[in-house]
Formats: sequence, C-alpha cells, structure tokens
Amino acid sequence: MSLRMTQITALVLRAVAAGHRYGFDVMETCALPSGTAYPALRRLEKAGLLRSSWEDEDEARASGRPRRRSYQLTARGRAALPEAEQKLEEVRRLLGAMDHGPGLETER
Amino acid sequence: MITRLWVWTVSALVPREDRGAWREEWLGELRATGGDMRQAWGALPDAWCLRTDGWTMDGMLRDVRIAVRGLIRKPLFTAVGGITLAVGIGANTAIFSVVDAVLINPLPWPSSERVVSYNHAAPGLGVNVPVVPHSEALFLHYLENAKSLDAFAVFDQRKMNLIIDGEPQRLDANRVTQQYFDVIGIPPALGRTFAVGEDRPGSEPVVLLGYGLWERAYGKDPGVVGRLLDVNGVQRRVIGVMPEIARVGEEELWTPLVIDPAQANEGSLGLIGAARLAEGVTVAGANTEMHELLLRFAQAHPDDFGPEILEQAQLDADVKPLKDLFVEDTRQILLVLLGTVGFVLLIACANVANLFLVRAEGRQREQAVRTAMGASRGDVVRQYLTESLALATFGGLVGLGLAHFGVRGLLTMAPAELPSVLDIGIDGSVLAFTAAISLGAGILFGMFPVLGYARKDLVASLRDGGRSATAGRERHRVRSGLVVAQVALALVLLVGSGLTARSFLALRNVDLGFQPEQRMTFAIGLSDVAYPDVESVEAFYRRLTERIAADPRVVAAAVIDGLPLTEAKSAGPMEPEDEPFEEGQLGPIVEQRRVTPGYFAAMGIDIVDGRAPEWSDRVDQGAGVVIGKKLADAFWPGASAVGRRIRSQGDDFAWEVVGVAGDVRFDDVSQEPLAIIYYPVFDAGPGSYAAARNVDVVVQTAGDPLAAIDGARAALRELDPRMPMVNPRTVQDVVERSLASTSFTVLLLGIAGGIALLLGTVGIYGVISYTVSRRTAEIGVRMALGAPAAKVLGSIVGQGLRLTVLGVGIGLAGAWGLSRVLASLLYGVTATDPTTFTAMASVLIGVATLATWLPARRASRVDPVEALRAE
Repeated sequence: MSLRMTQITALVLRAVAAGHRYGFDVMETCALPSGTAYPALRRLEKAGLLRSSWEDEDEARASGRPRRRSYQLTARGRAALPEAEQKLEEVRRLLGAMDHGPGLETER
Repeated sequence: MITRLWVWTVSALVPREDRGAWREEWLGELRATGGDMRQAWGALPDAWCLRTDGWTMDGMLRDVRIAVRGLIRKPLFTAVGGITLAVGIGANTAIFSVVDAVLINPLPWPSSERVVSYNHAAPGLGVNVPVVPHSEALFLHYLENAKSLDAFAVFDQRKMNLIIDGEPQRLDANRVTQQYFDVIGIPPALGRTFAVGEDRPGSEPVVLLGYGLWERAYGKDPGVVGRLLDVNGVQRRVIGVMPEIARVGEEELWTPLVIDPAQANEGSLGLIGAARLAEGVTVAGANTEMHELLLRFAQAHPDDFGPEILEQAQLDADVKPLKDLFVEDTRQILLVLLGTVGFVLLIACANVANLFLVRAEGRQREQAVRTAMGASRGDVVRQYLTESLALATFGGLVGLGLAHFGVRGLLTMAPAELPSVLDIGIDGSVLAFTAAISLGAGILFGMFPVLGYARKDLVASLRDGGRSATAGRERHRVRSGLVVAQVALALVLLVGSGLTARSFLALRNVDLGFQPEQRMTFAIGLSDVAYPDVESVEAFYRRLTERIAADPRVVAAAVIDGLPLTEAKSAGPMEPEDEPFEEGQLGPIVEQRRVTPGYFAAMGIDIVDGRAPEWSDRVDQGAGVVIGKKLADAFWPGASAVGRRIRSQGDDFAWEVVGVAGDVRFDDVSQEPLAIIYYPVFDAGPGSYAAARNVDVVVQTAGDPLAAIDGARAALRELDPRMPMVNPRTVQDVVERSLASTSFTVLLLGIAGGIALLLGTVGIYGVISYTVSRRTAEIGVRMALGAPAAKVLGSIVGQGLRLTVLGVGIGLAGAWGLSRVLASLLYGVTATDPTTFTAMASVLIGVATLATWLPARRASRVDPVEALRAE
C-alpha cells in the first residue's frame, strides 16, 4: 500500500528513526497533538514503513501497568527516510521563502 | 480515572478485532507517562481513523459537514432531540461536578492523601457523632508518643467577637494547636503561622487572619501583620494571613488553642484531631499504633478510662481520610442523585434513539440509492454515527450551559454547607466526563438505526419501498423495546421521588416537642473579659430577656446554649443519686443544656410534671434542674421524678429535679428525642468551668416574629453596644434548615421523576403515533369493511397499554431491587411502601394511556376513502 508523504508523516517517520519508540514519545518530540500523531503512526504502519511490537508482559506487570506498544522502522521505512527528509526540506524552504509564513501544522 | 473512562468509552468506536490491543496501547502510554486529558483526547481521532479505516481528515470533516447540514435542515428534529439530550447531559454534568469535587478529588493540599482525621470511634455510646474527639490530656499523649505522624494538631470551632474599625462583628474561627498548618501543609500568604510554644500558657496572644477577612476588613493591606486586633475582648497580635485553601469550613481566623500540660483535662472529649501521616505510613498502620497508645493511656488513667468503660463505649482508634469528616452525610445523597440523573439520561437516549429510528425509516430509499451507487456498508454506518454524534455534541454543549447554571442553583440549595475547600465547578475532569457521556450517548442511540438498517439488504428495500413485513416487525420490536425500557426506568424514578416526598411529608408532621411558629431567635457571645464570672453572665441574660420582653409585641424571651436542631452538642453520662451505677458501668449519655427560667414558655414546651425553672434554681441556691421526660422515665420508670436527685456520673454534687419537660427533637427532625437535662445558666461556682457564653436567645412574639428583631437589637445595643446580634431568624427557619437535606433530595428527585415521566410519555406517544401513521391504510380498510371506531380505538390503546404494563412490571421489580439504596434516606415510610408503588404505577399507566389515546382517537376518525387514497 502506498503512502503520500506529508510533513506530518515525514516528521513522525524521522522521530521513530531517531529512536523515539512510543506513541507518546513521538508525539512529544514532534510537538504534535496526540490526535494527529497516532493516525500518522497507523498510516505509516499500514504502509509498511513501520512495524510495532509489544513490550514483554512480565516487564509491564512488574511496573504495574498495561504493556506498551513500540514502533520500529522497517527496511522500507529506512528507504523512505530520504524522501521524508526531502519533504521536510521542501517545507522549510517554502517557509523560508515566505519569510514569516504560516506554521507547519496544517496538513493539506 | 477520567482518562481511563475516556479511553474505554472511545474504544467502542474501534473495530472489535483491534479493540483490546488499541485500549491496551492507550492505557499503557497514559499510565507510563502519567498523561492526562491533554494527551488522552487524541484517542478519539485515532479511534475514528481506525473505525473509518484510514479515511482522511478531509473525509471526516465532510461527513461532519453533511451531518450538521442535515441537522440544520430538520430544525424540529434537531431541537427536540438536542434539548432532550441536553437536559439529560446537563443534569449529569451538574451532579457529577459536585460528586467530582466532594467524593473524587482529593483536598487541594500538598500530599493530601496523607492528611487524616485522627480521632476515636465509640459506637457503644449510641451518640450520633461522626467522630469521638480528644481531651487535652489524650492529645498531649498522642502528640508525644505517636511515631507514625509528621504533624498532629487538634482544633475546635468557635464564634468570636471582633472589633474591626469600631464595628462589632461575630465570625467563625478555629482554635488550633501549633502544628495545625503543618498538618494541612499550607504556608501563610503573608507573615508566619503559629510558632512552637504559642499554644502554651504565658505566650503572647496572637491571631492568623483568613484571606477573605484580610481582603474585606483591611483591603489586603500587608501592614496588618504586627497590628493588634480585639478578639473576644483580648488584644491579639496579627502574625500572618492564610490563603483561601487553608480553610476547611467557614472559619475566617485562627487563634492558638492554648493547653496547659500541667492542668490538662483528661476526660472531656471536645477537641477534633487532624494529622499528617509520616512518609510511607498507611492509614491502617497509624490506626494500629493509635490503638496501642490509647490502651496505654487508659491504663495510666483508670478513673476516666477504666477497662469497663472502654469496653462499654467500645472506644477505639479511628484514623481515616480527613475528607470523610466533611462528606459522610452527603455521600449517600450524591450517589443516589447521580444514579437518578443517569436514569434520566438513559431515558433521554431511548427517546432520541426512537427519533433516529423513525428518521432512518424515512431515509431507506436515500440509503438504498447511495448503496446502489457504490457506497459501502461502512459509509452508511459512518453517516449514521456521524449524525448521532453531531446531535450528541450539540446536546452536550447545550447541556454544559444548563449545567453551568444548574451547579450554581444546586449550591445555593445544597443542604449541609459543603466545605469551601472543596472546589465545586466545571473543570477539566467535568468537561471530560461531559464529553464522555455525550459521546457514549451518541454511540448508544446511534447504534439503533445502524443495527436495524445498515445490516439489511438495502437494494431490496429500494424495491419494496421498505414495507417488507418481517423487517418491519423486527424494527417495531426494537422501538417497542425502547418504550418498555423507558417506562421501566421512569417508574423507578417515580417510585424514588414518591418515597422521598412521602418521607418529607412525614417529617413535616413530626411532633417536634416545641412550637416553631411565632418565634424568632438570634445568637450572641459573651467574652470572658467583659463578663468575667458566672454572676455577670447571669445578670446580663436576666436584664436582656427582661428588656426584650418589655416590647409589647413580645410575649416571652429566654436564653439557651444551643437551640434544638442547630447542631449544638454537649453531652455526658448521668446517674440518679439514689441508684448510682456500679463502678465502671457507664450511665446513659445525656444531652445537656443551660437555660433561663422562661425558656419552656418561650419555646412552647410543656412542663409535664413539677414546675418550670426559676432564677433561684442556681447552683448556689436551690440547685434545681428540669429534665426531659425520656430521662425521667429511664431513671424512675412509673414514678414521679420530681424531688429526686441526679448527678453527672462520678460527681459528688447532685441536683434536685424540680420539673419534667416534654421531649424535644434535638439532633435532627428525623431523630427520636434525646434524653436531656436543663441546668440553670448559673450552674457553677466562681473559678469553676465557664458559664454558657455562646447562646441562642429565643423570643416568642404576638404577631410577625421578624418584627421583633429591631426591638431586640435595640435592647442588646443598650446593654452592650459591642455585642453583635448574630443570625437573627425565625425558629421556623431553623426547622426548615434541618429539613433542607430532605427537601433538597425531594426537589431533585421530583424534578428527575417529572422529566422521566414527561420523556417516557413523549416516547410512548411518539411510537404509537408513528405506528398509527404507518397503519393508516390498514385501519382504513378495516373501517371500510365495517370495523367500529371503538374497536379500532381499543386495539391501538391496547397496544400502547401492553407496552406500558410490561414496562411498569419491570420497573416495579427494579424499584423493589433498588429500594435498599434509598432506605437510609427515608423517614416514616418503608422503602417498599406498597401505597407509593401502586400510586406511581397508576400515575404512569394513566398518563401513558392518555398518550396512546390521542393518536388512537385520530386513527378511529380516519376516513377510509382518504386513507386508501393516500396509498
């Protein structure tokens, strides 16, 4: 399944590549609201750029909470990184050109 | 807890096969990061994306736009549905905001889970008090020996006379021992709190001001620290100002509670204890330690705490969260109310679900066309759900507005003053709750059309115009089921409100033992500086009552230290002198009051034996007392108590009973009268313990009781211009107030019952009326073939009645099952009172019959030709 690379997915992909493995972690690193970060994670996983795995049951129980789900880059995800970087660069250039243009937040 | 509730609610949107994992992921993240609603709200868009299988934000927005447009195009549908929901959601939000503040949120103090009530319980005494507090000696014992506490203090509540800018004022104050503010953990807003030693004799008198008082009386002048303030006639130095959250009740200032370890009182238990547990100590741990310390103390003080007395009173340690002290009374009422409004919301949902079902029916062709043009089943489901959620959101927003005003109304009517430290209002967790129930409601009533229609072959319905008999019957069953559920829920609420209304009436007709009509009362306090001895106190009361009674509008005036039903409390064990209890056996706990001679006449209490008190009954003259009938019967059954002698258990000095008064309800209108003894105001020799200084004056009038206020105020001012008149009101008001918690419950349950009845009726009317419109053709044919109008009418009313009776049956069973919950709130009526059950069932059946009769009559007047032509 193909995926249209947007700033959001690019940001999230890069965050996971940088080692931020948990949903909330990614959300905080990218400064995205949880309602935006999670759908992006789901899309990336569905497109095969990320895969997820569950924390060890015993470990979670030891710290008295449900298991956490962590995300890793797949080979395809790693291959898509340059595209993501390029997307972000484009946006950066665009913003630079507009000087004080609007923020990154809106996904169109 | 709120975030969990939210995630669980939202998870209903997630496709079933992913739901468990999805929930675990969100809960895991929230738990691992300590996230709150700011993070958790995103679960909704996430769940929505999964539900809609990766539909884009654009697609979602488009759906929402279509749904909103659809709702706007049907203003009546939207208004009826939205307002129905708004009432349900608003009521839930309002009650929840109180529940949240009172029962869920911790006190707003640092590590407030460690702040505990550190007192005793003594179920064996049979006295109706939340805790049995400390004596001075007990307090010092625990203070010295308890290892499990970081800080420990005792306090009591007083009214204090202040002179601010030359104006006398009487304010609520707490007297507290030195570590009190360490227990609460709140630093002063200005200045300092009490220093070590300031609660011991010989230290300079100091006072801490509350923020409100500082603002009101000094315009927040920081220069107030260090100034002198006249408190109860004593010049006290202001050492600081405490912030608003340091208050636990209505107190506006704090003075040190001075205890002299050399003369600490052992057996007078009047000081409420509060403590901060040390790090890592549990409530149970502190309780065990306190239990052992109590036993040690009792062994060392066998006079006051002999083993027999401990056993008889069942005196033991009672450590529990401090908050329990304030909220015990309200918990039950709040939970019943929350349950009630929950029912109202369910009924509202059932109504809206019916509306949606009818609407969905009318839209089958539209959906069939959409399907034929390639819309998937998911598309149709999504559209239905978006619509119901949009309506729920609308209802939620309006409900929030209703709740905002509702909470204010609720608080002004609330029975017991809830402590101001509990911050009641619409905050983040209340918003989350409202969002969750709106969403829940939206999904709940949105599911019905989805289940009923999205599943079936829509193309087929395009072909037959939605009249296929089997599908119709199934849908009809769903709607009928909703009506039955509504009727059942409504009946439960009606029975609940009927029962509380009956107990309210029973309480109104209770014989209080005194006459509240044509009587007013106000409170005064005599400082021990202006009135240093019992002699001067008695002289003041004598002059005051004479002066007030000189007014021609006044019949009588008298003084008592704690009017019935005002929560004043003073009691101790007593015994008859001729038959004292054996060593170690505890006498009955007797309520004690001090009164001036005119009290019984002024309150309209009968003297059933002997005579009323006289001024010469004072302790150094006749030493005569009047006792209540209940006590007289307990000590001298079958014989006259007059002339007998009675004493405080363990005392040598005995009083002579000169009269027996009729019994009076003291604690609460719903509580049986207490055993009581009335001492004269002059009840102790010079140097002995204080005379009655905080008293209520009661004035019997010939006409309007409030007309006597000005005269009484003038008399008071004439005698002592520095003494404020506090809280003048009619005695009827005092009675109303003590009924407030019942009338509050009655009012709210009545409103809920009324709404339930209305919604239930509308529901029945809607369904029957819709059935009639669908059956017009059939009815037309039947009438054309000669069926009499009465038979048609009967068959339709019968159909409605069957649903109603079924609902009533289920509702009666439900009300029966839930009666236990209400039992403790009722008075003079059992929770399974057959009269109430029958009456409410009849009301419901009657109203429901009317609701079916209206559409039925319309049907019976159908013109057959007309009806068939419409086909």
